[in-house]
Amino acid sequence: MADIRIESVTKYYGSQAALRGVSLDVHNGEFVALLGPSGCGKTTLLRAVAGLDRQTNGRIEIGGRDVSDLPPRSRGLAMVFQNYAVFPHLRVRDNIAFGLLMTGTAKDRIERQVARAAALMHIEALLDRYPVQLSGGQRQRVAVARALAVEPAVLLMDEPLSNLDALLRLEMRTELKAVLASARTTTLYVTHDQTEAMGLADRIAIMHEGRIEQIGSPLEIYRQPKSIFVGGFIGNPPMNFLRLPVSGSVVRLGTLILNPPAGINGPVMLGIRPEDLEVAETGAGFAFRVHVPEPLGPHILLTGDVEGQSMRVAVAPDRVMQPGDVVMLRPNTARLSWMNPDTGLALENS
Amino acid sequence: MIGSRRVLLISGVLMICAWTLVPIYLVALGGVGGASTIYAWPKPFWPASLSIGNFTAFLQIEGIWAAMLRSVEVAVLCMILSLLLGAPAGYALARFAFRGANLYRLMILMTRAFPVGILALPLAVSFVRLGIYDTVFGVALMHTALALPFAVLVTASLFVGIPRELEEAAWVFGCSGPGAFRRVVMPLAIPGIAATAIFAFVISWNEVFAASVLTVRNKTLTADLLTLLSEAPLQSQLAGGLLLILPSVLFIFFVRRYLFALWGVASR
Ligand SMILES: Nc1ncnc2c1ncn2[C@@H]1O[C@H](COP(=O)(O)OP(=O)(O)O)[C@@H](O)[C@H]1O
Ligand SMILES: [Mg+2]
Repeated sequence: MADIRIESVTKYYGSQAALRGVSLDVHNGEFVALLGPSGCGKTTLLRAVAGLDRQTNGRIEIGGRDVSDLPPRSRGLAMVFQNYAVFPHLRVRDNIAFGLLMTGTAKDRIERQVARAAALMHIEALLDRYPVQLSGGQRQRVAVARALAVEPAVLLMDEPLSNLDALLRLEMRTELKAVLASARTTTLYVTHDQTEAMGLADRIAIMHEGRIEQIGSPLEIYRQPKSIFVGGFIGNPPMNFLRLPVSGSVVRLGTLILNPPAGINGPVMLGIRPEDLEVAETGAGFAFRVHVPEPLGPHILLTGDVEGQSMRVAVAPDRVMQPGDVVMLRPNTARLSWMNPDTGLALENS
Repeated sequence: MIGSRRVLLISGVLMICAWTLVPIYLVALGGVGGASTIYAWPKPFWPASLSIGNFTAFLQIEGIWAAMLRSVEVAVLCMILSLLLGAPAGYALARFAFRGANLYRLMILMTRAFPVGILALPLAVSFVRLGIYDTVFGVALMHTALALPFAVLVTASLFVGIPRELEEAAWVFGCSGPGAFRRVVMPLAIPGIAATAIFAFVISWNEVFAASVLTVRNKTLTADLLTLLSEAPLQSQLAGGLLLILPSVLFIFFVRRYLFALWGVASR
């Protein structure tokens, strides 16, 4: 086991920046997910940690050792690739044993480790097959078993579930979480799927255009987005943003009077999650015009507008809504996010 | 619709088969049949009398065994040189994006655009100067030049077909660069490399022009046969021709299943 320390790492492809100064600490035994839209630099960062690509600037330490100039094999890590990268000319058994064989492990220990990793991933019955004879999900299991067998100090995974179909993905996610939690391996996990990141990770690092935008526990990221980008990226549907004027240090929305952080003048962005709104039968609220109601089962998703600004709301399924209906809504004032519309960054709550 | 396409396919296959098989058949007919079969018209489907007399006669021609041995030597040398030079170049083309890669690819093909006939005289002169004229090595070198473009381009496409991630996985799991090549890339490339080797062998084995120009006394089998053409009786020539064709055909015939089977694995 070891921690990973990434310090101001940049990566340029020619003149184009893929990483613009990334710093990140992954603690011993922690599971950190790198989450972000396609092309934000997740794979680039992971490959720099693995040693498959050299960063342009910055340091990478694993277990307190600067590994920036070490080849992948000397970094004490294992990796699960997006396309599995299971060796087609080797039987499953030899695939799993590959890493151990390379480090000159004793034969009986290799056998024990292979059996253990195969048992963890439930592929004991496949050990004598060739990868061609396996389904995508089974190959994925082999790839994970191959990585676990070497008992790496650090485990890297690049979208390991993205090539599986939805049902299999859910199953593997649950299983991975159980296996990795018991192994307590330091894990850096790349994904563009927020449910995956939320479900698996101790902490999530949200990446955007070559930078880490925010890092925190899944709940922190969800509840207190540090920028409009994070709020708009996390959540399904994502956070709503209303551009509102501040007058006399308060913001008026319908008959509601809201208190943004002190010392703001000019407009602010108010972020509200769709589920943090409820229908206000009585008392203060603001008018919301329904355009499209979608009954989804657990709730009804309403798409509509507030004073011309579009908004999505998830309300309890116990009422019938028609397009054109106007309902009064009230937010949970403890869950509001305030953003600077110019910088896109969160305003500190005073 | 499907019926007519099928007819087209089958007639195409038949035409290609006839294109290659009929000449071989006629050579074989002349080779194993007596002199009467050669000049008979219309040709009998089956020779009137089967005999290996022509072969023994052919094999008793002076210097034929030595020529055959030289042919094998040249072909094996050509095979080794083509792989040694061609496979690394193919790997570089497949794995590294370098400036001028496309030009390099084009140049490789361009080498085949110069007819050997034009190059033959200057080559012969250079070979004399270098002291490799009329040697097995000299001919092998020339044949390597002919086989190399093929070797480079085929191995390049072979290495392109082996996902880079496999190599990277090998690095991560403890291999050095050469180690990953040996343990992962090579085993996956072997069938294709074997095919490349066989084709290099066959190109050299069949080549006659350069071999004739670059040798005087130490002729390869093909070159030797060319000079014999005016002297030996026709049935001996045909027997020789058959002996010349057989190794190439058999070689490829026997390895073909192995090639197809492993190609299927390698391209996955
Ligand atoms: N080998 C490369 N050459 C040039 N640009 C690259 C290369 N690899 C990645 N990039 C660029 O770097 C950026 C980040 O890519 P990547 O890390 O693969 O994104 P992600 O994994 O988050 O989808 C992208 O804009 C991509 O186009
Ligand atoms: Mg990626």
